[in-house]
Amino acid sequence: MGQCLRYQMHWEDLEEYQALTFLTRNEILSIHDTFLKLCPPGKSYKEATLTTDQVSALPALRANPFRDRICRVFSHNNVFSFEDVLGMASVFSEQACPSLKIEYAFRIYDFNENGFIDEEDLQRIVLRLLNSDDVSEDLLTDLTTHVLNESDLDNDNMLSFSEFEHAMNKAPDFMNSFQIHFWGC
Amino acid sequence: MSEASASALPPGRPRRQPFAHPESLSLESDFCSSPVNFLQELPSYRSIARKRTNIPSRDKQSGTLLKPTDSYTSQREGEIAENLNSQSIRKYALNISEKRRLREIQETQMKYLSEWDQWKRYSSKSWTRFLEKAREMTTHLELWREDIRSIGGKFGTGIQSYFSFLRFLVLLNLVIFLIIFMLVLLPKLLTEYKVTNSSFVLIPAKDIDIQCTVYPISSSGLIYFYSYIIDLLSGTGFLEETCLFYGHYTIDGVKFQNFTYDLPLAYLLSTIAYLALSLLWIVKRSVEGFKINLIRSEEHFQSYCNKIFAGWDFCITSQSMADLKHGSLRYELRADLEEERIRQKIAERTSQETIRIYSLRLFLNCIVLAVLAACFYAIYRATIFSQEHMKKEIDKMIFGENLLILYLPSIVITLANFITPVIFARIIHYEDYSPGFEIRLTILRCVFMRLATICVLVFTLGSKITSCDNNSCELCGYNQKLYPCWETQVGQEMYKLMIFDFIIILAGTLFVDFPRKLLGTYCSSWKLMQCWGQQEFAIPDNVLGIVYGQTICWIGAFFSPLLPAIATVKFIIIFYVKEVSLLHTCRPSPRQFRASNSNFFFLLVLLIGLCLAVIPLTISMAHIPSSKACGPFTNSNTTWEVVPKTVSTFPSSLQSLVYGVTSEAFAVPFFMIICLVMFYFIALAGAHKRVVVQLREQLSLESRDKRYLIQKLTEAQRDMRN
Repeated sequence: MGQCLRYQMHWEDLEEYQALTFLTRNEILSIHDTFLKLCPPGKSYKEATLTTDQVSALPALRANPFRDRICRVFSHNNVFSFEDVLGMASVFSEQACPSLKIEYAFRIYDFNENGFIDEEDLQRIVLRLLNSDDVSEDLLTDLTTHVLNESDLDNDNMLSFSEFEHAMNKAPDFMNSFQIHFWGC
Repeated sequence: MSEASASALPPGRPRRQPFAHPESLSLESDFCSSPVNFLQELPSYRSIARKRTNIPSRDKQSGTLLKPTDSYTSQREGEIAENLNSQSIRKYALNISEKRRLREIQETQMKYLSEWDQWKRYSSKSWTRFLEKAREMTTHLELWREDIRSIGGKFGTGIQSYFSFLRFLVLLNLVIFLIIFMLVLLPKLLTEYKVTNSSFVLIPAKDIDIQCTVYPISSSGLIYFYSYIIDLLSGTGFLEETCLFYGHYTIDGVKFQNFTYDLPLAYLLSTIAYLALSLLWIVKRSVEGFKINLIRSEEHFQSYCNKIFAGWDFCITSQSMADLKHGSLRYELRADLEEERIRQKIAERTSQETIRIYSLRLFLNCIVLAVLAACFYAIYRATIFSQEHMKKEIDKMIFGENLLILYLPSIVITLANFITPVIFARIIHYEDYSPGFEIRLTILRCVFMRLATICVLVFTLGSKITSCDNNSCELCGYNQKLYPCWETQVGQEMYKLMIFDFIIILAGTLFVDFPRKLLGTYCSSWKLMQCWGQQEFAIPDNVLGIVYGQTICWIGAFFSPLLPAIATVKFIIIFYVKEVSLLHTCRPSPRQFRASNSNFFFLLVLLIGLCLAVIPLTISMAHIPSSKACGPFTNSNTTWEVVPKTVSTFPSSLQSLVYGVTSEAFAVPFFMIICLVMFYFIALAGAHKRVVVQLREQLSLESRDKRYLIQKLTEAQRDMRN
């Protein structure tokens, strides 16, 4: 695994990243380390990019059933620049505000990217969560109906962003579960 | 399918409509997506999307965006400036380069503001930055942060919340000890070791029979080695006179240079202070979980949205833990649907069946009460036996017998706490509740059993203390022959309970958990060993154990001021022991507690413990006369009497105010006003609920209209195209 040029981050850059993201100094530096270990040799960290496969293989994401969606939401043109990785870590950090997490959670859970979480999206979410081969149709429909009963306020069988936001503000586990602390490799 | 689920809806909710039937729309292939496309064009959708990302208009160069002279751009920039003021840049859902551009815009904009606004903006920014740095510093000081996080990563958030609960109790006990130290111990130690130029004030007792003030010091003569061990384990002998117990503080005041420090009042106030502090801290910690339960309008405790959208712990890094989480989600979701079906079945019971079930439940609850009564009676007898035989000479007994008698109440309590959960678990099968409710009711019964045993012990002691030979203690108000200094003796019982509890937890881990694991690993050929050896971390039992220890500490801190310090050390050791036991002998459970559920449950149990601890304390402070031979309250009838005595030394206006506030003329109108305020808020909440239901119905009607209009529009478009 080749390494990038050992380019130390300038103090002004560190300050700027601290001001623009929710990450602490130590977290930014550890992500910088990881990035340097993974990126192709000969480039500085500001120009190098990582593929989605490399990011999906990080310990933080490799066991996550939604890792392909996470990579798709946070990458640009299917590659990750250093700032993309920082942005992703900022959303998942402990200090991030709820509105930011809810925004990105909505984008991650919207599998067909039509701006709404509909029944098809919900079924795919449930299948990813259960990760088993013998999930009956009844179970899937039951669960999707229950979720829609609880959070679909205007009865159109889809969750718009406002409805999703409303549901996540009531969910007590959301803020605690939507966190990733360790970005090393 | 929709019929069955519709019948499960609470009344008043509109029925779930299937989305626009495909037959009523055209047969063209792109028809299913065009309603969604239409929805994306609607102004409401667009303005929400704009609010979420708030990207400033891209069709102008960054330089020309800012000229305030241009009327159109100045209006837009006004909006942006307002938005930029209200949110910090990090909260925008943009990537870093766009945020950087926003920041540049913001900074260039600042030049056009007045000096005052610029200074205001700058100072608020530096203040927020300072707060963040301070918060970052304090998270480093958090005790055991990395340990707890790694436990959470390996075993799930339910077990992680157990360990954070243990950390909370360590901090609580430390703060309680600090309060007691500052108010009671510090003046005494300062005077005793001559650090400050102060002296003790000892007021001789008046109007009290000389017999009440006799306090025979126990040991003398030949002291055997094992009597030291017994003294250490039971708080008698050399420990009885140390500052560990109430009897050491036989001081009426400490005279400093400028004022006299009223030690009895300080002692009483420290007790009230630590109880109030515990209550406030527990309520503050539980408010988050409770607030969310209040907002919920659904009947059941856990919502499916929470389980599905917030079901996956994103901080899981290992594949094995991920497999376990998948398994636990499968179990949990299936169990919830099963519970829903059972609840529907219950709702459809015939009245004959209902009567049968309710009479069966009544009978079984009577059995539960009988079991509880039997355990309480056993503890009562054991305490009385132990108290009567404790007075025998040490050298007349063999070592083990003496220790057995001293620890008899603790042993009986522990045995009862092993047996009763098994009995309760058997009984509840016949009561035919839904599975989730079964678990909760069993846990509540075990909690009540465990915590009430301490109360029974204390009440037994209380009854023994206030009963003399001729059935009424006229001389001193309490049995001064057997209990010359009864507070110290109650303190000794609490001390014994705490030590025994600690020994049992250590012994349980060393002699049960580790051998089980060893047997499971090395004798894995036997099927029995394999399934018995694989143990899981039982959260309810462990939580009950530490809440039991904390309740003992709360009751005992009045009678033994150093008990919170012992409790702090005990919980610290238990943390490490449990952590090692968890990491080396337990495997993660396939059925996992949820963190939000667990936190609320732990704090609820702790609150029950606090309430049960306050009862014996109030009775002993207000009803039982304080001992006249020892302690700071020799000059007052009961412990509480110190307060009226102090109030009578206030200036007369303040005195009349205090008497006015505590009289019935104030209390009854105050109570009525509080009831009225409560009724008002209940009515308000009911009205809000009705409004919410009406608004929901309106929303679904509006959405139906919207779909109808979209359908008409697409038909019209199709006709135009044809």
